[in-house]
Amino acid sequence: MPDIRRKYVIPGELIAEGNYRPVANVLRVGEKYYSTRVGMAEVGHEGVRVIPLSGPYIPRVDDLVVGKVVDYSAFAWEVDINSCFFAFLPAQSVFGRDYSPAEDSLTSKFAVGDMLAAKIFAFDRTRDPLLGLAGPGLGRIPRGEIVKITPTKVPRLIGKRGSMIRTIEMATNCRLTIGQNGVVVINGSPDGVLMSLKAIKLVEEEAHTADLTQKVQALLGQRGATA
Amino acid sequence: MSAVKKSLVVEQLRRNQMIELLAQGKRMDGRGLLDYRAIKIETGIIPKASGSAKVTIGDTQVIAGVKVETGTPFPDTPDQGLLIVNAELLPLSSPYAEPGPPDEGVIELARVVDRGIRESQMIDVSQLVIKEGEKVYAVFADVSILNTDGNLFDTTSYAVVAALLSAKYTKYEMVDGKLRPTEVKEALPLRTIPVSVTIAKIGDSIVVDPTDEEEAVMDARLTLTTDSNGNICAGQKGEPGTFSFDQMLSGADTSRMKGQEIRNLLKEATGYTG
Amino acid sequence: MTTVLLDDRGLRHDGRRVDELRPVKIEVGVLKNANGSAYIEFGKNKIIAAVYGPKEVHPKHMALPDRAVLRCRYHMSPFSTDTRKNPAPSRREIEISKVIREALEPAVLLYDYPRTAIDVFLEVLQSDGGSRCASIAASSVALADAGINMKDLVCACAAGKIADQVVLDLDDVEDKEGSGDMPLAMMPNFEQVTLFQLDGILSSQQFKQAFSFALDGCKRVYQLQKEALMKKYFGQGEPSMEESE
Repeated sequence: MPDIRRKYVIPGELIAEGNYRPVANVLRVGEKYYSTRVGMAEVGHEGVRVIPLSGPYIPRVDDLVVGKVVDYSAFAWEVDINSCFFAFLPAQSVFGRDYSPAEDSLTSKFAVGDMLAAKIFAFDRTRDPLLGLAGPGLGRIPRGEIVKITPTKVPRLIGKRGSMIRTIEMATNCRLTIGQNGVVVINGSPDGVLMSLKAIKLVEEEAHTADLTQKVQALLGQRGATA
Repeated sequence: MSAVKKSLVVEQLRRNQMIELLAQGKRMDGRGLLDYRAIKIETGIIPKASGSAKVTIGDTQVIAGVKVETGTPFPDTPDQGLLIVNAELLPLSSPYAEPGPPDEGVIELARVVDRGIRESQMIDVSQLVIKEGEKVYAVFADVSILNTDGNLFDTTSYAVVAALLSAKYTKYEMVDGKLRPTEVKEALPLRTIPVSVTIAKIGDSIVVDPTDEEEAVMDARLTLTTDSNGNICAGQKGEPGTFSFDQMLSGADTSRMKGQEIRNLLKEATGYTG
Repeated sequence: MTTVLLDDRGLRHDGRRVDELRPVKIEVGVLKNANGSAYIEFGKNKIIAAVYGPKEVHPKHMALPDRAVLRCRYHMSPFSTDTRKNPAPSRREIEISKVIREALEPAVLLYDYPRTAIDVFLEVLQSDGGSRCASIAASSVALADAGINMKDLVCACAAGKIADQVVLDLDDVEDKEGSGDMPLAMMPNFEQVTLFQLDGILSSQQFKQAFSFALDGCKRVYQLQKEALMKKYFGQGEPSMEESE
């Protein structure tokens, strides 16, 4: 077992002194490492990092996101991806290279109000994120209930190698599409959807605690998949 | 398209999902169609105000503060005190609220709440006169909306009513043509407890106490206010959709029935027994 | 009617000693819609702080290419004062909004969020002396609750002068009838002052004492800010992260 020290921190708290690599959500001043977020600080051989418990979704290339079409121009759809940036889905990536604004109508594919599952295709500090639909399961989401969770808690909802998703899906007979941006789509019977909502709410509330899978299983009243 | 509008674009699939569920008599949060969310009423939370109340319905939170001051009566009603209801949607209440003068929605809200209270004759304004034609008491009810999750009409109305029920104001006297505060503090002269009940039509279903999500997809809204005797004293239909005659009539029954339950909550929370 | 600001036992009109803080209560996450929020009671002050953002800037030309714009609105409810306050923002509220923004800005890592806006809204539900300090304390907790990268929290507290004696944390009466008020805000882990105002005459000795009182008050407020955040996020349960993806 690698020696990892953990502690709960708030912004400005000193986490460690010495020579480490600042991994994430850490401010280095000389030899001192301070947290920039509320969360769990970890000091180990990999470096110093803070796993935050709150915060906005900042896009990363290759993330799966669930977004809502809010507008379109002649060349792209504008998509609300629950972030501080609206994302763009270029028309060419849907119609192909020979897309012509004069002949193809964007609304024939996606309308304002449609929900999409998409990947972040490109993003950096200087421009808004671009989306792509190349990949299995990507595209318009025809039906389902939408629920938002804190984006920093998405890894907990997915679980180790997808164990938490499987637990919820098997117990409720629903299908979950979880965007890294904290938007989740649930498909299933009305009762299954309501059960899934409860389980997701529990993950949201108890994300920082141990034995989360067992707690969710207890809530759902049956044993799901084990990791 | 502005940022506000973009954010309010409704997912079409959400409306479909909701209509499907409502047709089975269920709501997304597990309530029945005619159930309110939990209503919490706290009074006396702003000691600097003459009367105050915080009301939460689900995640909608508002605070009402009543200030009783002195003022000049309107020329056409020299023998009546004044009642002024004002509401403000604070920019901290939702991602879509912006600072600035109130928009038409908030003005409608304040006016509908004002009408419910005024028309019920809750306050006997004829008793709020210090010297006829010159000096009267002015009752200001200001509402700050802290968090929105639907049904602002009822939440705001209950907060104002609870603040009025629990208010105590300083009596003034006229000495040598000048107003002077006395040591006497009195409750407002009250006659009835008006209660508004808001229903929403979504598809073919009627629900009470709509959430933000339900309001985003609703076709029409109806707010009806009843007094303690079960009379309907004010009403307002909103949004572009329509109600059938039957829906209007059963809406009136619903507002009487629900109104009585909520009136009891208001009495309990404020200790008002009149 | 004149109030005795300091009696012969050295106690203030509300019974506090000269270096005593009013009761302070902080609660985190009080508004569902906001990205971060906090409620503070500081003496008779009752203030809600809400943070929205980072989000797109409108109008777009207000955006900065390399960092976020921090915006701040301090507003008093009409029922927050003894006589009803006109709801329109006053010159005082506009100035306080500005100094609060400038007190928070050094602590927020704005360069992490280029081309966005971060809005801080403050609503004073009931006012008492020291509402700007209470507002700053609540705002910085709300920013942390929103998960915005910060160098440090900002804590704040005022010192002042009544009856020629330096005291900590003036209330409404002392603010009106006293002879000096000195609000101070700072980043406790980096020992940097981010807000300072003073009205009133202090001798150099009194200034030093007031400064030391205010710093001490700030540190106590910081402990309460920290406790409030810890309670919201780690109130129950054992720490664990091993199950994550």
